[in-house]
Amino acid sequence: MINEFFNTLFKVIHLRSVIGYNSLVFALKKTPLIGRLIPEKLYGAKLLKVIYWVIHVIKEVLKLFIGKILGLGIIYVISIFLKSEFVKLDLADGMSEGNLFASYALLMFICYALFGMVLNTPVFKCTTEKEYLVFMLRMNARKLNTTLFVYDIAKLFIGYLIAGIVAIIGGAPFWLWLGIPVLGVFIKLFGAGLFAFLFRRKNAKSKQMRMGGAFITVMCVIGCIAFPALFVFVANAYIVPLSVLLIVSGVLMLLGVWGLRQLKIFDSSLHRRALRDNVVKNEVVRREAESKANTDRFKKLSASGNVKRDKKGFEYLNALFVRRHRKMLIVKPVVFVLLVLSVIFLVIIGFIMSYKEEFGAENTIKMVSNNLINLVMLRPYSDDLRPFEAWSATEFFRWVIKYNLLGMIIPVAIADNSFKVTQAMYINCDNSLMTFSFFKKRDKIIKLFDIRVKQLVRFNLLPALSFGLFADLILFYTGGQEYHLQYLVTLIIPGILSVIYSTTNLTLYYLFQPFTTTISVKSGAYAIARTIQAVFYCLIFWIPMPSPILLGVLSALAVLVIFFARKLVYKFAPRTWKVQS
Amino acid sequence: MEFVISHLVKSYGSKKVLKDVDFVFEEGKIYGLLGRNGSGKTTFFNCINRDIDIDAGEFYVRDGEGEKRSLEPEDIGYLVSTPTVPEFMTGREFLKFFLEVHEEIKPDKSIEEYFDYMMIPEEDRDSLLKDYSHGTKNKMQMLLNIIAAPKLMLLDEPLTTLDVVIAEEMKKVIRSQKKGRITIFSTHLLDVAVDLCDVIVLLNHGRLELIDKNDLGDEDFKKKIIEALKDQNDD
Repeated sequence: MINEFFNTLFKVIHLRSVIGYNSLVFALKKTPLIGRLIPEKLYGAKLLKVIYWVIHVIKEVLKLFIGKILGLGIIYVISIFLKSEFVKLDLADGMSEGNLFASYALLMFICYALFGMVLNTPVFKCTTEKEYLVFMLRMNARKLNTTLFVYDIAKLFIGYLIAGIVAIIGGAPFWLWLGIPVLGVFIKLFGAGLFAFLFRRKNAKSKQMRMGGAFITVMCVIGCIAFPALFVFVANAYIVPLSVLLIVSGVLMLLGVWGLRQLKIFDSSLHRRALRDNVVKNEVVRREAESKANTDRFKKLSASGNVKRDKKGFEYLNALFVRRHRKMLIVKPVVFVLLVLSVIFLVIIGFIMSYKEEFGAENTIKMVSNNLINLVMLRPYSDDLRPFEAWSATEFFRWVIKYNLLGMIIPVAIADNSFKVTQAMYINCDNSLMTFSFFKKRDKIIKLFDIRVKQLVRFNLLPALSFGLFADLILFYTGGQEYHLQYLVTLIIPGILSVIYSTTNLTLYYLFQPFTTTISVKSGAYAIARTIQAVFYCLIFWIPMPSPILLGVLSALAVLVIFFARKLVYKFAPRTWKVQS
Repeated sequence: MEFVISHLVKSYGSKKVLKDVDFVFEEGKIYGLLGRNGSGKTTFFNCINRDIDIDAGEFYVRDGEGEKRSLEPEDIGYLVSTPTVPEFMTGREFLKFFLEVHEEIKPDKSIEEYFDYMMIPEEDRDSLLKDYSHGTKNKMQMLLNIIAAPKLMLLDEPLTTLDVVIAEEMKKVIRSQKKGRITIFSTHLLDVAVDLCDVIVLLNHGRLELIDKNDLGDEDFKKKIIEALKDQNDD
């Protein structure tokens, strides 16, 4: 029997290692530049497989340390801290230090283990290797599940014993060091047995034997309430008597025995059925459903509406594309504009209300009307009753607006909708037109690219300008403009950043055409380019620069970006403008 | 005009899909490219359409005077097996757009006449293409390729998934369009190839092999082809 156990375990770990190794080679082969150098023979390289196997075993050990040892280790460390604090404050009257430690550790462990029992019962989960072994290689499902369950329990027991060293050092009684791992095993048995029991009942009613999403959600909600309550309980120096905790532990161990019995009567066909219900629905179909849902969200087209008769060719194509996708294209920019305008509105209203409270309605009306004129005349905020005073906070905001508008790249990038728009362009338009030769001709590509850049800039410009408006508001309240056109400069900078960002994104799409027909990104080079782009913006956003200089630099950069983007697209896009399989 | 393929090679990793394709296609004929599933028919078309890079060899056009010139994208019309159309447009809008971007084309028919020619139902003409049936999408794709009048028409299993009525209509259109161009029609269905094509070419062991057209109609013909294809599978 032990031989059989090790035999099955060896097969599973071997299969895991093979799947991992082949996935790694596959990923490497798909990596740009390196991929071409990697030979097909690598899949069969024995030495590398052995090395991978060793790494895999190390990974298993690490998982053991991180999962089991860390969890219980933290509980022991907290218990040591609570024990020392309570002894120091003389709160634990009549209890030995060892029992006090045990009381805290046991209380926290029971909560932790019960919570984990529900959220992490992998015995009926169907992983890739279980799918292969049971459904393709026809391995006995019960034998496989039992082997892996015993393996899991053994890892848990050893991990908890190792973590127990912390408890021993912290002055815990010896029985706790051994008792908690044993209790952990029984709780695990209870959890698996409970699922087996529920599955058997579901099966009797011909229902699907799936892990209940609702059940797990309820437990999460209970957990969210229970853990803060536990924290409050402990923080208020309450202690659950050790005897009560030992009784609870005893009950849980009895439930563990019940769980073991449930597992014993859960036969092989039920194991197989449970795995099937969880694999087919959770892994394979989920992937298909995800890709279908992915593409379906781009299929919500408005059938109504027409475009002006004067639009022709690619202008006509683009106008129709915008009209039929207007909801998809407009929602995000509009949400951001409304959000920023709401913030602006709230700031102004907040300011007016506080003014009214301080100086009364009549003065407020006077202040508002005067400053409306100031605003129109592009003068700074002014008022005799509450004059602008340069205190540190306002000075800071003013400094940000005067010298740090490059930082606007972050909100501009967040509000930018280019990625989604390029996805929609591909799935609903380019994907089909790429089969026609005319669509891949240089002059046609660049013609459509020009139209799309303008269109994309228009979409993303509004949220960017609303950020500029917000910056202008800060400028207005903190002393107004120091030179002519400062309001305009502040307004325009986020707009130019948006032009650069939109153009870059569209260019990357044209140069790499990364999407598949399920809208997933297949090109590693595209992912790398986007990462470089993000890192670059994160590196530069904090660089301080006076706004007029920044405007000059950005304007020149925008011209250069558009110029080189067009050159690159013209030269390379005919080669990359293809449907990815 | 001839379309010449010379020692074309294409591999995926260590697997050589096209080993040494060497063939001359002549104008005015429908070529039935016959091969089993996975034999490399689509790869062959993708190479010619330059959707994938070739490893070796070349292909070009030889005109009536024997002058050699490269095959340009506008020479090719490619009908893929799963038709994809810009779903946000109606059939009419798509056709209008297509005619406008092809300024060099002087259409001999109105949009309505084109629809009639392809037997596209009237009620579909102003509906979004996303609501078209598979067969009607296929017809739309075919129609645009006909309008573009390419010298070389690549048809990748266009009839396989169509119902009998639409398949017959499509065959009629393909036959009527063969004049002045080379049509290469890939299929794994022997009966379709025999029924529609003037010449049968086997994609066998990564090479193209001509089947003598005098054998068409011969009782032993099917047996010979099936034997050849079986042989390929055993390879």
